[in-house]
Amino acid sequence: MEYLNTYLNEISRRLPRKNRVDIIEEIRSLLMDIIEERSPGANPDEATVKAVLKDYGSPHQVAQQYIDYQPLIGPELYPIYQLVLKIVLIVIAALNLVGVLIAIVSGVFIETSLFIAIVDRFFDLVGSLVNVFGIVTLVFFLFERLASKEFKKEVKEDWSPDDLSLTEDKTRISIPEIIAEITLGVIFIVLINVFLEKIGIYFRKDTGWAFTPFLNMHVLRYIPRLTASIVLDIGLNLYLIRQGAWNRAAIVAKIIINLFKIALFAAIIFGPAILSIEPTAWEALNLDLTLTAQRFNQLINTALSAVLGLTILSLTIDVMRHLVQTFVKKEAAGLKIKTG
Amino acid sequence: MTDPTISEQTQSLVQELRRGVIILAALSQLHEEQYGYSLMKQLEDRGMQIDQGTLYPLLRRLEEQNLLQSDWRVDSSRPRRYYVLSETGKKILEELTEEWSRLKNTIDNLLFED
Repeated sequence: MEYLNTYLNEISRRLPRKNRVDIIEEIRSLLMDIIEERSPGANPDEATVKAVLKDYGSPHQVAQQYIDYQPLIGPELYPIYQLVLKIVLIVIAALNLVGVLIAIVSGVFIETSLFIAIVDRFFDLVGSLVNVFGIVTLVFFLFERLASKEFKKEVKEDWSPDDLSLTEDKTRISIPEIIAEITLGVIFIVLINVFLEKIGIYFRKDTGWAFTPFLNMHVLRYIPRLTASIVLDIGLNLYLIRQGAWNRAAIVAKIIINLFKIALFAAIIFGPAILSIEPTAWEALNLDLTLTAQRFNQLINTALSAVLGLTILSLTIDVMRHLVQTFVKKEAAGLKIKTG
Repeated sequence: MTDPTISEQTQSLVQELRRGVIILAALSQLHEEQYGYSLMKQLEDRGMQIDQGTLYPLLRRLEEQNLLQSDWRVDSSRPRRYYVLSETGKKILEELTEEWSRLKNTIDNLLFED
């Protein structure tokens, strides 16, 4: 019986905690039935027990049959997962490539051999691709567990041939787009909250790699608001996924989030400069440009302001579009019905 | 089931074919209470051999789906878990039986008639 107990323990180890005891007791009772049949009497001999256990299967095999395997990402979400992964990985790879090209052109690699630099960058790229792969997979894994069954069904079943028509439905949401947004949002939150101090320029010095941060302490005051705006965005996106379409509440929320972002970006533009490179680091970079560090800092901050300004512009346009679509067009449609 | 003359590919296809009807076979024998081993024996006696490693977890799953109900009982020498069809299980077995006859007719027609 020693063998039987060890065997059952081995199975037990591999079973989910829930029901474990019950399953083991049932298997014990079943095995005893078989043993009894093969060797009637009070004390079955070891050989019989061993033969029965052999027939019954390895502990691993037996336990496996009792486990309901849940896929990390189910078949409903898998196509979207694949699409988002492809988009995000390509974007990351492209950004890295651009970074390498800029570095080559601007001569950051002058002090080191180009070959070594490129190999280094390649390993960097592989590292960040693996990271991004992990984050995207994690987002989808959570989504798989949290999304309602109804939603998953909808992804699969709720379609009509009308979906094929080219006329654009303003309330329709694009799931891949939303999930890509959520993923990028999560990556950005992690980036600014965990790796903020690591954002900067990495360059080779005689003594090895050196690093100079890109952002100064002034950026810290914006982190909570930046994070909040992205969290709100993600929340809205999750809501949209649940609802399956834009509705008035979602549009109002979007408008509010956009106004919040506009205020935040305006604050950054008119606040103290957040990008700066230490003059010593600037010298060490040895970029072969006739620019002082101070002038360079001015330039990059102006560039940042310009980018933020454009973002504000596009956010404003987005707000206007939403306002017109929901509040003006609806009335127009209502009028049509009344007069027609 | 494990006829050495048929190829591995055929075997895996046969497995797949049987997988669907194992549930029907098990349910059909559970109008009366049975414990795992007795059910396995009874199915075997009637020509339906089902691997124990498949049958016993299946019974639990069917119970989770409310097709079966079970309880532990001590009879003769030791405790055993007895399974029997629930009310839902009976209804579903009826429906499955009908579906099976239809399917069997259809497939027979496809296979054996011109």
